[in-house]
Amino acid sequence: MALTLYHGEPAGPSLTVLAALFESGMTAELVPFDLSLAQRHGAGVPRDFEIDYSVEGEGPILVVDGEPTADSVFIGCLLDDLAPESGLLPRDPYARWEMMAWCRWIIERLAPGAAALANIAWTTPRLAAIDDAAFEAMIAPIAADDLRERWAQTRRGILSDDHRAASEARVREATDKVEARLAERDWLMGDFSLADLESYAWIAPMRDLLPDAFADKPRLAAWLARVEARPSVQRALAQGRTAEPAHGFAPGPEINRWG
Amino acid sequence: MSDITLYHWEPNANSGKPMLALVEKGVPFNSHYIDLLAFDQHKPDYLAINPMGTIPAMTHGDRLLNESTAMMEYVEEAFGGPSLMPADPVDRWRVRWWMKFLDQWLCPSFSMIGWSIFIGPQVRARDPEELKAAIDRIPLPERRVAWRKAIYGLFSEEELAESRRRVDLGIGMLEEALGRHEYLGSDQYSLADINCFNSAYGLPSSQPEDVNDEKTPNIMRWVRSVARRPAVRQTWTYSRVPRFAERIMPLIEEAA
Repeated sequence: MALTLYHGEPAGPSLTVLAALFESGMTAELVPFDLSLAQRHGAGVPRDFEIDYSVEGEGPILVVDGEPTADSVFIGCLLDDLAPESGLLPRDPYARWEMMAWCRWIIERLAPGAAALANIAWTTPRLAAIDDAAFEAMIAPIAADDLRERWAQTRRGILSDDHRAASEARVREATDKVEARLAERDWLMGDFSLADLESYAWIAPMRDLLPDAFADKPRLAAWLARVEARPSVQRALAQGRTAEPAHGFAPGPEINRWG
Repeated sequence: MSDITLYHWEPNANSGKPMLALVEKGVPFNSHYIDLLAFDQHKPDYLAINPMGTIPAMTHGDRLLNESTAMMEYVEEAFGGPSLMPADPVDRWRVRWWMKFLDQWLCPSFSMIGWSIFIGPQVRARDPEELKAAIDRIPLPERRVAWRKAIYGLFSEEELAESRRRVDLGIGMLEEALGRHEYLGSDQYSLADINCFNSAYGLPSSQPEDVNDEKTPNIMRWVRSVARRPAVRQTWTYSRVPRFAERIMPLIEEAA
């Protein structure tokens, strides 16, 4: 089985997938690309409509025997299917349900908010420094109209007050949820699982943006340190190529259109 | 008496997903019909069972499950009967990818259109005070926003146009995917087909100019092959709103 992982800086979905890969014990060729410069849509990157329309937006691509796959939680499930001893997913069906329902909340509720805050803080200045023609050429190959539009909005730095407030509320809700969840356990699902990686990858970078959401939460702080200390996460973080790998975001999942 | 109780509305969309999975696997369950349009899902009796106030929900013994797609995976893994997930890891990934794409990108567009022309106007005919009280009872803030939009028809023309664009694009993607594999994402009938069929069975009748034997032969082949499954017919015995059954029964009869 030949695996190639195209990944961005170790933050958000790229961090989840890098760490999940290392947890699985499988080897893959690692190909770094700059998600913040839309290199995911560049020539030579294997794509299909599942990549172009990934609900995660800009995220890593794991190529398995020539087939490109996307969406970090489902790549995590795939790695678990390929390496069932990885411990990425619990074996008990009810524990698996709990984990998938938890991850769904992270992808659908936290990730759009966290991505919006991260992008406005860190990606917008990078994109604003690019001239109009170069930016247009950069996003032209993006197949999904709605994703391309999120890029244009990110460059213009558009984030309404409502949208910012809702995004910050999501981050606070997430840190509250984790603090509550860890009352009698070290890991979110009891044993370590993909849910720890996925949650850490979206929550940890928010420390720089919303420090108050992390204040007076000792269990959250201990859990962040515990996840960070895992060799898989250390190795994933070591893939960073910029001064602030945790700031390496790109337009991500959209805010739920129903509200 | 089964130790499984399924709380559901009409056997389509999200309510139909775990129900069809249970029936396909031959797992007996107690059916508990929740009238979505009467807002039964936000009443204290139901909130005592599922504090999220969402439908469907399922209890297995003393355990509660909600989130229809995750519930389907539970049904697949916890019970015997025919397998509803392919064995190959990449096929399994593709099935999960489609379920996410349906849940978060395509089906919300179907339902926005459906609500704006079908359900919203009907609900708005109710007593305004009663409606307001019903909305105030909804426990999840995001669901409150969604219901308010749906009930009062607050979707902008732009939002509806975007939903129509997504449905058109989604039809093209489904046609392509069903040309590559016999079923959605793999060559085996799976949870992705259950997920998709429950929201897409109405396409040939609601958009006959876009979904038909000439333009989308693969979708038509697939929709008939799912409609002909005995389990699909069986789930529709749980329907109580004739308007929903009237939309699907001709397809089931024609495919049989």
